[in-house]
Amino acid sequence: MEDGKLSRLPMIAITVLRIFVGWHFLYEGIAKLTSSSWSAAGYLKQARGPFAELFKWLAGQPNLLANADLITMWGLTVVGVLLILGLFTRLASIGAMGFLLMFYFATPPFVGYFYSIPSEGSYLLVNKNLVELSALVVILVTGSGRFAGLDRILHALFARRPRLIAAAGSPTR
Amino acid sequence: MAGQDEKGKEKAPAAPEQPRKLDRREVLMGLSTVPALGLFGYTWQKQRQYQQAKLQAASPTPAAAAGLREINVALLGAGAQGQVLTDAMLRIPGLRFRAVCDVWTEYNQKRVVNILKRFKHEVNGYEDYREMLDKEKELDAVVVATPDFWHAQHATDCLKAGKHVYCEKEMSNTLEGARSMVAAARETGKLLQIGHQRRSNPRYLHAYEKLLGEAKLLGRIVTVNGQWNRGVAPDLGAPDRYAVPEERLEKYGFKNMHQFRNWRWYKGLGGGPIVDLGSHQIDIYSWFLGANPSGVMASGGLLYHDPKTHEWYDTVMAVYDYETAQGPVKAYYQTQTTNGSQGYFENFMGDQGTLVISESELNYAGQLYRDPNAPAWDTWIQKGYITAPKLQEVQAKEDTGAVADVRESVAPDEHKVPVALRDPYHQPHLQNFFDTVRGKAKLNCPPEIAYESAVAVLKVNEAIEAKSRLSFKAGEFEV
Repeated sequence: MEDGKLSRLPMIAITVLRIFVGWHFLYEGIAKLTSSSWSAAGYLKQARGPFAELFKWLAGQPNLLANADLITMWGLTVVGVLLILGLFTRLASIGAMGFLLMFYFATPPFVGYFYSIPSEGSYLLVNKNLVELSALVVILVTGSGRFAGLDRILHALFARRPRLIAAAGSPTR
Repeated sequence: MAGQDEKGKEKAPAAPEQPRKLDRREVLMGLSTVPALGLFGYTWQKQRQYQQAKLQAASPTPAAAAGLREINVALLGAGAQGQVLTDAMLRIPGLRFRAVCDVWTEYNQKRVVNILKRFKHEVNGYEDYREMLDKEKELDAVVVATPDFWHAQHATDCLKAGKHVYCEKEMSNTLEGARSMVAAARETGKLLQIGHQRRSNPRYLHAYEKLLGEAKLLGRIVTVNGQWNRGVAPDLGAPDRYAVPEERLEKYGFKNMHQFRNWRWYKGLGGGPIVDLGSHQIDIYSWFLGANPSGVMASGGLLYHDPKTHEWYDTVMAVYDYETAQGPVKAYYQTQTTNGSQGYFENFMGDQGTLVISESELNYAGQLYRDPNAPAWDTWIQKGYITAPKLQEVQAKEDTGAVADVRESVAPDEHKVPVALRDPYHQPHLQNFFDTVRGKAKLNCPPEIAYESAVAVLKVNEAIEAKSRLSFKAGEFEV
């Protein structure tokens, strides 16, 4: 990737994409955090597909569910902030993709599945979760944070430090 | 940024062969997306302001502005039902919440206190209701939504402390308890309203007063049936970190957290689905028929749920006999908790028409069927009591392709009851209670009425156990 660096214009476009995806995540998280009674239970109970049993089981475990709720609310929020700022962009992208994969597999638009909950469109295998996920793949592989984002500062400060010194550890450690 | 620059310089000697390149351009590009976060904060703040405005618009006018004397209220029991009642009360003008009492201080109490504070009600939280009654001298009324087996003690103690009481149904899990509540209300002269909220629902009042009372649309009612079907629901749980300590559970009559959360299924604490669900609807049978039942036969059992955690019957089917002023009536009721389809309704069938009614605004929200031989209902349509009949069409059924036979299509005309409730289901009944506190109304469900209902409903569990038809004795419905 270092060799095949993209030129400026595509990088700007990908940065905009990253901000929008981050924005979406951040708001999904904040909306849940500020709602007095949000829980994933209702969503999990609707689960279909290969992991349906796991999701439904989780909905019936108050201890795990409470943690799953917390992880979801805070996870979405933190990932959103990181993507917007371009901080730890790769890690944030992977985290965001993890969430999307879970959401995708909770209610997958597979052929032969019929849902009664209204969705915002008609899908065949590919839904918006998957589209957003592939946007994150682009963000991940282009290292967009190093173009415009705090990662650029981190990169300038810490990158290409000879590995020997890093491995030996600095005297302050 | 300056710090980062310094840091950069500091680290520089560690890798002398790689000079740091933290120039202006790096910093600017590095921070270039921070404004997006700022924009997010700004727009989110804006949106919250709108939400706040909506909350404030929905919250009722303060008493003074509405020209009302403010009523000081406490909530005793902040569980699911307490929350439902709180939501409804937050829409009623002229109420001032002063206190919330719940033994689950770790969770439910805290939650409702926080919600009320968001609506600018400065409430104190209590674990012990006696302490609340001692300290909150200015209380006018207490809304009781504790488990059934606490109702009698909570309601009588509050009445004796000089408070008006709105108490959830079932009035009590024992008839002795229910009698003590009637006695306490009479003794103290304070108001006691029991939460059979359909008695204040505008659709039910319309049906009772206009459709049955004035228009007598059903003719002679001979049979009634009704149901509350509910799908299997997992037991209620609680995260361990919010668990109520064992000593406290014991102090308030619960063996463990499971019992505390699922008390409705346990004997001695609740009455099972027939009491939780059936009592609302059997109350309507007696109200609309204008009589108390003369006998009941019932069958029921724990057919599905785990007997280790469920003591009451998950399935109950009961048939009541009524001797009404118009003649004998048979009234069937079923509740089951293994399949929720077709939900809940009451269905009154007379020789001239049928009335299907439900508290639900979505299903069975008031349909009338006129028997083809009954007198025309045009007058009542003109008066707006019912809607015009739905046009009947003979058509191919869309899904099956079957064609309906013209000879079988002479079905009764279907009309609708044109009354809907756009407020939370419990709001009119609470409103009726607080209006009565202000001397502007009469209670729609005073304790004597609720007692009659309790007698009729609690008998079902007895009849199941006795495996035979039980008669109600003369005077059994009186206190």
